[in-house]
Amino acid sequence: MVVRRVHACEMLQDKCPWLTKAISPAIPVYNGLVFLFVLANFSMATFMDPGVFPRADEDEDKDDDFRAPLYKNVEIKGIQVRMKWCATCHFYRPPRCSHCSVCDNCVEDFDHHCPWVNNCIGRRNYRYFFLFLLSLSTHMVGVFSFGLIFVLNHMEKLGAAHTTITMAVMCVAGLFFIPVIGLTGFHIVLVARGRTTNEQVTGKFRGGVNPFTRGCCGNVEHVLCSPLAPRYIVEPKKKQAVSVKPPFLRPDLSERQITVKISDNGIQANLNRSKSKISLEGLEDTSMDVQPPLPPKGDPSKYSELKGQLGTGEEGSLSPKLISPPTPAMYKYRPAFSNNPKVHYHATAEQITMQEGHSQGALIEEDGRSLDYQSEPSLDIPSYRKSSLHKTYQSSPLQIDSFAINSRSLSLKSAGRRGTEKVPLHPIKSEGAASTPYKSIFSPNSLSNRNGSLSYDSLLNPMSPSGRKCITHSAVSSVGYHSPYLSAKMCHLRGSELQRQPPQSFSPVLGGPAPHQRDPSPVRYDNLSKTIMASIQERKEMEEREKLLHSHPDSVFADSGVYDTPSSYSLQQVSTLSEDPRSMAMRYGSRDNLMAATSFSTRNPILQSSVSSLSSAMTRAPRTSTTSLQADLANNNVQSHQALQGRVSNGSFKSPGHQVPSSPTGMPRSPSYGGPKAVSFVNTVEITEVQSVGAQRDDMQLKTPHSKINGQPKGISRLGSTSSSQGTPVSPARHSNVKKVSGVGGTTYEISV
Amino acid sequence: MQGLVLGASGDTFGHVHSLQELRRSASLATKVFVQRDYSEGTTCQFQTKFPAELESRIERQLFEETVKTLNSFYAEAEKIGGSSYLEGCLACATAYFIFLCMETHYEKVLKKISKYIQEQNEKIYAPRGLLLTDPLERGMRVGEISIYEDRCSSGSSSSGSSSSSSGGGGGGVGGR
Repeated sequence: MVVRRVHACEMLQDKCPWLTKAISPAIPVYNGLVFLFVLANFSMATFMDPGVFPRADEDEDKDDDFRAPLYKNVEIKGIQVRMKWCATCHFYRPPRCSHCSVCDNCVEDFDHHCPWVNNCIGRRNYRYFFLFLLSLSTHMVGVFSFGLIFVLNHMEKLGAAHTTITMAVMCVAGLFFIPVIGLTGFHIVLVARGRTTNEQVTGKFRGGVNPFTRGCCGNVEHVLCSPLAPRYIVEPKKKQAVSVKPPFLRPDLSERQITVKISDNGIQANLNRSKSKISLEGLEDTSMDVQPPLPPKGDPSKYSELKGQLGTGEEGSLSPKLISPPTPAMYKYRPAFSNNPKVHYHATAEQITMQEGHSQGALIEEDGRSLDYQSEPSLDIPSYRKSSLHKTYQSSPLQIDSFAINSRSLSLKSAGRRGTEKVPLHPIKSEGAASTPYKSIFSPNSLSNRNGSLSYDSLLNPMSPSGRKCITHSAVSSVGYHSPYLSAKMCHLRGSELQRQPPQSFSPVLGGPAPHQRDPSPVRYDNLSKTIMASIQERKEMEEREKLLHSHPDSVFADSGVYDTPSSYSLQQVSTLSEDPRSMAMRYGSRDNLMAATSFSTRNPILQSSVSSLSSAMTRAPRTSTTSLQADLANNNVQSHQALQGRVSNGSFKSPGHQVPSSPTGMPRSPSYGGPKAVSFVNTVEITEVQSVGAQRDDMQLKTPHSKINGQPKGISRLGSTSSSQGTPVSPARHSNVKKVSGVGGTTYEISV
Repeated sequence: MQGLVLGASGDTFGHVHSLQELRRSASLATKVFVQRDYSEGTTCQFQTKFPAELESRIERQLFEETVKTLNSFYAEAEKIGGSSYLEGCLACATAYFIFLCMETHYEKVLKKISKYIQEQNEKIYAPRGLLLTDPLERGMRVGEISIYEDRCSSGSSSSGSSSSSSGGGGGGVGGR
């Protein structure tokens, strides 16, 4: 066609002398320019790289190839767009990218493959193609019109050579006029609407909104004025090598710890927290605890008790050091005692600092004085620090209980009970006097702590920040809130006991509870490291799950209790279930379809009960699309549990309490082709994962019982792994931003923005 | 206190005997991919979410800063403004012969990006055993961070620890 154009131009040259003379000398110039323009754009459209994506390296898709779902969803300006896996190029095609079978390449912003130019039209050369069409149309119009003028002016000599040729040219031009103008008009509309030919022809945005449009003017501007995109197929160039040599720097954990602290309520947030908890407890629960000689015990006892919790033997060591002033007059120095334990409980760095700060704040004494006190016990404490974690973990059954949602209350109660037992002893003594000075200790004004933030204001006021903190540290959702106080109370009491023993002088009242000192200390969430707490929690979860499995063998949708108990776990499982069956159902074209199917069939049916129980939990979940889920579950029971496995293995239970509330919050609803459905749970799961520290450990532990299942389900494991991989990295950033939506063709991934 | 848990491990690296240092080499352990962020359409942006594998290797803030800077570079490259319009007009006027002589705005920014990545690698990532590769080599679909593990090898040559940057990787990628 272009050749004809060229011919036509040559023909026109013959007419040009006449036209030049008859109409204007600019005509040949104009024609020449337009012709040149046509040619240039044609060349660019033909020879320019349209934006071909290079093939992905093997290392990029190593875990994508066989276990990856076919589609991956992405949210673009609030609209779900599906990215398809390209089997040839080994990556998920970016939005608007398509694979050209003629060129055998994925092309960015793929428009179409043009046979006229024998090239794909993509992002880089669409502008030239469009301009080519425009210029060609213009040129054709020009040729036709000039020919017409010529013929009309030479009507009397129609038989002449020039006229005949002109007429022939006009006919050709007229003939090609229609398709070219048609195509030009079509592309003008596409440019105005911001669509590609591919999208228009496949009807992608037929009923919906085009997320790629920038408005009519914006679209035109984008096509015509945007900078020329670079080529992706670059020749390997010599780059200056950067040598990577060990030793490698590692990020300083202390920085993180510091960060954590700072993120709390303030400098000594941790300190405040633990302290506040303890002191609050002391304050609230017993001004009785304050007991006269023991008020300091209250403080120091808290710490000493905490310390005792941490370790067994150390308690004694602390007690002798704490010498509470025997007389009420000395009460003002009580804070010193509380200073003592400052170092204890640093099972985690945060907690340790907490103690310190807390003790600082708690004490009315001046710094120097408090320091004196502190110095004594601190000798013991450092030794505790590292061992405290383990000790606490091992020593206190309550600790485990405390982590468990269910049993927590029990432990607390027991702790409370124990505390209360002791409490009455104390009030006997100088309640009034004791309590007053004791309270004075906690009064905000009386504190002269080095850490101003440690003032008892925090203690008195919001237990919430401290409580929150403790919760965070303990990785227990809501459980930790109360327990620290109780445990603090326990510590308080214990400490008092401890105090009592060595300094017999001022602990007559406490003689009773003395033996309790050596009991396994109540749980102190602050003291335990996150990993330990996570593992404890995980154990609890597993126990609960076991119970769940046994208790709800076949009640798929009936049991609401399932939802509550191993809520986190079941949620996770259900989410995997929901996730998997759906993806399975959807994945008609999935790469792993066959394999998954076969692998599923071999899975043990044992877990089906768990699956069903999970599904029941799922039904309770607010966001689940129960109907579809149920159907899927019913159909894919076996598969679902595999999905469960994959999911569970990757997920971890963290704080169940958080999971439940977080799922509603964490699930962003965005319009999508497919609809999110059960995917929301995956979000939840991933969200919760963040919260727990020992995620990895939990995963491992969870995996072991289901090791058989884990490896296989290709699609599911991929789901799990991807979700986990996405979840874990995502969650730290912000659990609320994780979005998982299931599209029409299957889903899966949530993209966190 | 803070350093108590981790500080030790961090320190051991620095305190290794010089001989051992010479004999140490870094081996590529794994690669982390920074995916594209399509929330704003097809404009080139990368997700700033922190990959979990880098948790213990680099500070979150450094990584995010790198990604954000890269995003800003790409935004500048793709900006439709006066300069890009003029460039287009000029190209049109010269029948696109100007492309033979001059490099486009985008290419200029890409050079800046490449230099920036190189500098980041030298200053920040290589000392931590990481290596950034230019997303351009992967078609701007994904950014890659190679994680190197310290591997003590007795008797290995002192040069064994050096690893070429993405340049070598580019050679592999470019084979299309």
